[in-house]
Amino acid sequence: MSLSSAERAPRSPGDQALAYALVSPAVAVALAIAVLPLLYALWLSFQDWYLLRNPQPIWGGFKNFSALLADSALWSAFWRTCVWTLGTVAVEIALALPLALLLNRDSAIARAASALILLPWVMPFIVLGYGWRFLLDSEVGALHAVLQALGVADTSSVLNDPNLALGVIIFISGWKGMPFMVLALLAALKSIPDELYEAAAIDGAGHWQRFVTITVPLIQNTVVIIGLVLGILAFYSFDLPWIMTRGGPQDATTILGITMFKAVFTDLRPAYAAAISVVMLLILAGAALTLLQLRRRD
Amino acid sequence: MNDKRLIDVALDALTILLVVLLLAPIIWVFVASIRPDADLMTRSLIPAQVTFEHFADILSRSDFLIALRNSLLVGGSVALLTVLIALPAAYSLSRFTYRGRDAIGFLILATQMLPAVAVLVPIVVIVRSLGLANTLTALTVTHLALGLPIAVWMLKGYIDAVPRELEEASMMEGSTQLGAMVRITLPLIRPAIVAVGTFAFVLSWGEFLLALALITSTDVKTLPLALQTLFDPYSFSWGVVMAGGVVIGAPAVLLFFLFRNQLVGGLTAGGIKG
Repeated sequence: MSLSSAERAPRSPGDQALAYALVSPAVAVALAIAVLPLLYALWLSFQDWYLLRNPQPIWGGFKNFSALLADSALWSAFWRTCVWTLGTVAVEIALALPLALLLNRDSAIARAASALILLPWVMPFIVLGYGWRFLLDSEVGALHAVLQALGVADTSSVLNDPNLALGVIIFISGWKGMPFMVLALLAALKSIPDELYEAAAIDGAGHWQRFVTITVPLIQNTVVIIGLVLGILAFYSFDLPWIMTRGGPQDATTILGITMFKAVFTDLRPAYAAAISVVMLLILAGAALTLLQLRRRD
Repeated sequence: MNDKRLIDVALDALTILLVVLLLAPIIWVFVASIRPDADLMTRSLIPAQVTFEHFADILSRSDFLIALRNSLLVGGSVALLTVLIALPAAYSLSRFTYRGRDAIGFLILATQMLPAVAVLVPIVVIVRSLGLANTLTALTVTHLALGLPIAVWMLKGYIDAVPRELEEASMMEGSTQLGAMVRITLPLIRPAIVAVGTFAFVLSWGEFLLALALITSTDVKTLPLALQTLFDPYSFSWGVVMAGGVVIGAPAVLLFFLFRNQLVGGLTAGGIKG
């Protein structure tokens, strides 16, 4: 019997046991930190548990879910989260596409730039959040001075303006996620054979025409799939709006992650918060199914 | 030909300009950390004076030093545990064929896709009912979820690339399968092991949400939480806050660039299509 190096049958029951033993700690961690909490959240979402009234959870059936549907603050947080998610992904694409096209060249500067551009992605939220707060501060902020000169901001920071705060933080959120899209787009662009462009050039196609007929169709899938991945991440945001404005001013930046956090820590209603996270998960599952469907199509 | 050179130079110049613009907020944090507060108030773009007083200031605060120690402790434990758990798992997934292997691989990968917000509520309730609120143990265990799945998949990729024949030759000479793994495969993938450990450390080092939800007392706070306390609304200095930001951000940046190639390769190999 020859042993191929890719796949082969186990040699003995001892090998089988060894294989399971080696993988079991990782499985235990996955069960303890992902599967068990998800099941527990599902159970919790059917409990009635308001810490100021009853210290222990009691069965509440669909109580949380009907409360959730009637919660107008939650509904506005939901719509705000939709705007936040779509806005973040739109900013990511708008920043990443021109950048990727520019960096898709064989020069030392382009290579160095495609490494440096990853910095917003690797820097922790807490550092970037305070960095931007500093830039936008009404007393010392350099960017605030610029916005004031442009007439966008008045004497107080744009972060204190209920009409502007969400848009500003959406931009920052997209800026933070942009490097991931650049990375993916660069990989997609590099896989397009030069011959396609050369052939089109011989046929007399101009720059714009080549971009529309060759580049766009070939990077479309990457944009959609990475956009969905980044969209899921954005949907579950918490750090940036919390660090920058705590969800304010006047709930202007309260997205679902913040509503959920406040439901546990401010309102002391963990079961209600669990119900919110179950609903968020259903929406995530819907998005993930769409993603799989799209991946299968290519 | 000259035209093409000119275009190349112009595109390079445009690249530099855009990158500086996009990185300006990060550069600004680093620059502000070494400017005196009076200089910051002038809003000028060029620092008139350079000082390290903000770093001296935060490093003389006991709460910040405690947080620094806690972050090192948690990050170090997370890195070590991630490697110790991910390596055998990756080896098992790569070298053995058994019932449920693909499902197990999928389960581990799926936990990477799960955002912390999605499991925050149950984790907080479970940790509290176990009496582990305000402990570094709880933070360490939950931080394992940050880097473990990607570590398993990256290491699996590297082990896949090591020819089995090398291990088989060693086993012919009488060593066990595990012995062959330790003696032959482990040294070959050492750079990848260091990279995933570092990655896990960096993710834990900057993690905010779980720390915020699980930790309230000063003696177990980590750096991101300590940075928040530097931001005292009545008497604080932007320079000090930015210096704290540099302390948190610099290791992430440094370690990322040391292992950039392994990590970028791993991210694309980890199932996210490029």
